[in-house]
Amino acid sequence: MTKADEFMSSARRGLVRVAPLILFGLIWHIICAVGLVNKDFLPAPGAVAAALADLFKGGEITKNLTITLFRAAVGLVLGAACGIWIGVMMARSRHFREYVTPIVGGTYSLPKSALIPLFALWFGIGNVTAIAAVFLACLLPMIVNTYHGVVTTPKVLVWSAEALGTGERELWPRIFIRNALPDIFTGLRIALGFSFVLAISAEMIASTNGIGKLIFMYGENGNYDYMFAGIACMVIVAFLADRVLVILTKRLLVWHESAVTEPETRRR
Amino acid sequence: MLDLVRPKIEIRGVSKTYASEHGPVLALRGTDLTVNEGEFVSIVGPSGCGKSTLLYVVGGFLAADGEVAVDGAPIKGPGTDRGVVFQEYALFPWLTVHDNIAFGLERQGLVASEREKIVSRLVGVIGLAGFEKRYPRELSGGMKQRVAIARTLARDPAILLLDEPFGALDAQTREIMQDELLRIWLETRKTVLMVTHDVTEAVYLSNRICVMSARPGQIIEEFTVSLDRGRPREELVVSEQFNSIRNRVWLSVRRQALVAGERNDES
Amino acid sequence: MNSAEVRTDAFAWRSAVSILLFIALWEIAARIHVAPAILLPPFSIVAAQLWHSTLDGTLAADLSISLARAFCGLALATGGGVVLGLLMARNRTIEWLVDPLVALGFPSPKIAFIPIFILWFGIESLSKVLLVTFACVFPVIIGTYSAARAVSRQFIWSALSLGSNRFSLFLHVILPACYPRIFTTFRIVVPVGLITTFTAEMVAGGGGMGATLIYSQRFFESPTVFAYIVVMLAVGLVVDAVMRRFQNRFLRWAEG
Repeated sequence: MTKADEFMSSARRGLVRVAPLILFGLIWHIICAVGLVNKDFLPAPGAVAAALADLFKGGEITKNLTITLFRAAVGLVLGAACGIWIGVMMARSRHFREYVTPIVGGTYSLPKSALIPLFALWFGIGNVTAIAAVFLACLLPMIVNTYHGVVTTPKVLVWSAEALGTGERELWPRIFIRNALPDIFTGLRIALGFSFVLAISAEMIASTNGIGKLIFMYGENGNYDYMFAGIACMVIVAFLADRVLVILTKRLLVWHESAVTEPETRRR
Repeated sequence: MLDLVRPKIEIRGVSKTYASEHGPVLALRGTDLTVNEGEFVSIVGPSGCGKSTLLYVVGGFLAADGEVAVDGAPIKGPGTDRGVVFQEYALFPWLTVHDNIAFGLERQGLVASEREKIVSRLVGVIGLAGFEKRYPRELSGGMKQRVAIARTLARDPAILLLDEPFGALDAQTREIMQDELLRIWLETRKTVLMVTHDVTEAVYLSNRICVMSARPGQIIEEFTVSLDRGRPREELVVSEQFNSIRNRVWLSVRRQALVAGERNDES
Repeated sequence: MNSAEVRTDAFAWRSAVSILLFIALWEIAARIHVAPAILLPPFSIVAAQLWHSTLDGTLAADLSISLARAFCGLALATGGGVVLGLLMARNRTIEWLVDPLVALGFPSPKIAFIPIFILWFGIESLSKVLLVTFACVFPVIIGTYSAARAVSRQFIWSALSLGSNRFSLFLHVILPACYPRIFTTFRIVVPVGLITTFTAEMVAGGGGMGATLIYSQRFFESPTVFAYIVVMLAVGLVVDAVMRRFQNRFLRWAEG
């Protein structure tokens, strides 16, 4: 298969996958055009697109989206860094693990968005509350996945490395952490999803800006096409961020058979 | 042996191509084979030669070009006349030993009392009385394989298709299971088509051995085995007769394995 | 007592010690005014508030509303998700139709859809239940679909040669083979259902734990804020323990 053939066939496949969306878009348009639903409840796709364009032109979306993405990113990076460190420490030190496990297990069951009012109480309305919420939410999947990745390093891998002269200090970055990378990336994907959810939750509950707040405000003011536009924008951004991470993971983990579990397994 | 009765299984010109990430692969090319009623036929050959594929085609699980006929009629997919036992046992893990064996009987629509009779008899035949309520997870490899055999026998298929049935077992268990299988076959005289990579096993169990070539697979040599299976294993396996057949079969397979190895080096 | 029991006992002891230590530190820190009482009420005050809310029934009312919403949503998500996942695994057309929706829906923050659900279904329970369903259905679909596709072909072939028809194949082979994966997915999705319920209540009001929580925050009633968070934590723990029991009891047969 030549490069051109490969491109054509993957383009065709992409089109087939996207086709149902076009179908649903058409159905949406027809429902609105025929007047089957009250215009207020379901703005036509055209109106939503117009609102979206308007928001971009006016800059509201870019401004607020940046704020939201900033909060999500900071919380994610901090949460991931700490989570990986804690996960590694748990795997390295039995004492550490014994003290930390009950805490980790306990916070697993706590809905992190429940802490948003508490953080609002402590830190007021704004960035710190949102970032703190995102941070805590991202912590857990990173800890759990890192720990799992390190702890499931096959013994034979470690022994081979030792027999080949790898020192104690080198074992960690070279063997354990490398082996844990697929799990770490799986955790990262989960944490990415959480970061968006918590950032938006925090904005809807306790913030004056950000795209969550924007969407909510449009809802309260009855500007439903702008509300839908904001939501659509968020969905697309989240989707793209997830895709980017998946592609990045595949590139970085090219050596691993199933780098990140694809939700849609297309094997037949 | 004059055989005016038609063969139990007739395989004529079967070819099978399957898709792989490196393009289409021809697994079988124009394979021919006949199996007569009551025979125990083994197919041996180098790894990847397509012997399991052939078995799956006979089982009706894979579509292929060519003809496969059972009792003269072409097969139309899987059927209860062809029971199958896999290397990985394929026991349903959510069912107990009892329910696994009863699975086919339930599909058949038998009433509970009928099913009980058959299941308890089979549990006795495989020697696992007392284990009916266990789950496959709690059984050893040999026990699992016994249950798999019992499950297949429950529907009393005329043909047994065995795909490397003892490949996952350790050497000692394998020998025990071979004797078990031999005993069951001598009792029931079913037609058996077995795929194995173990030449000794093939000679021990079968009355005909077919050697398959390297991929794409074709039957290129056949050996008839007539040993007195009444003799105990200790005597039989060390005998001159046994080993002469075994060596000839082994050489034949070895030649194919070398061919396969050369082809791999070239590609 | 075997070694596994000894280990879990030791673990329980250590957890209890950690918790008691945590509570003690909390009480001391609050009492010596590490932070103003508004921000860090002592544990004893929080406990008293908790007791008070239990007695006058507000906690029970809020909790039952929230839990009812969460579990209705989860039930719908699980039922619908499993059916959709199985259908997708079986039928190419359905798979083609549903796949882009799942691909878009799975990574998106479902919380962002709260305003749509409020618009369409009001601020009472219906919008919360449906939002929970929406939030939880995607992982269930994906988990069921991939479990159904991953059913070993040897199971299917064995069942076919033992006389199964297509329907029996689905009911007696594919579905049971998927149970462990479906249950694992369910376990993951339950906290999501609880979070979504609480968050939706915090954003939109309409009764329930989240609504009371946010009102307390707005009126600086911090003991209630802390008390409700503790209750949410406890609910999460209890629910998880119940599910673990269930798994041990009914899914013993699953390997590993």
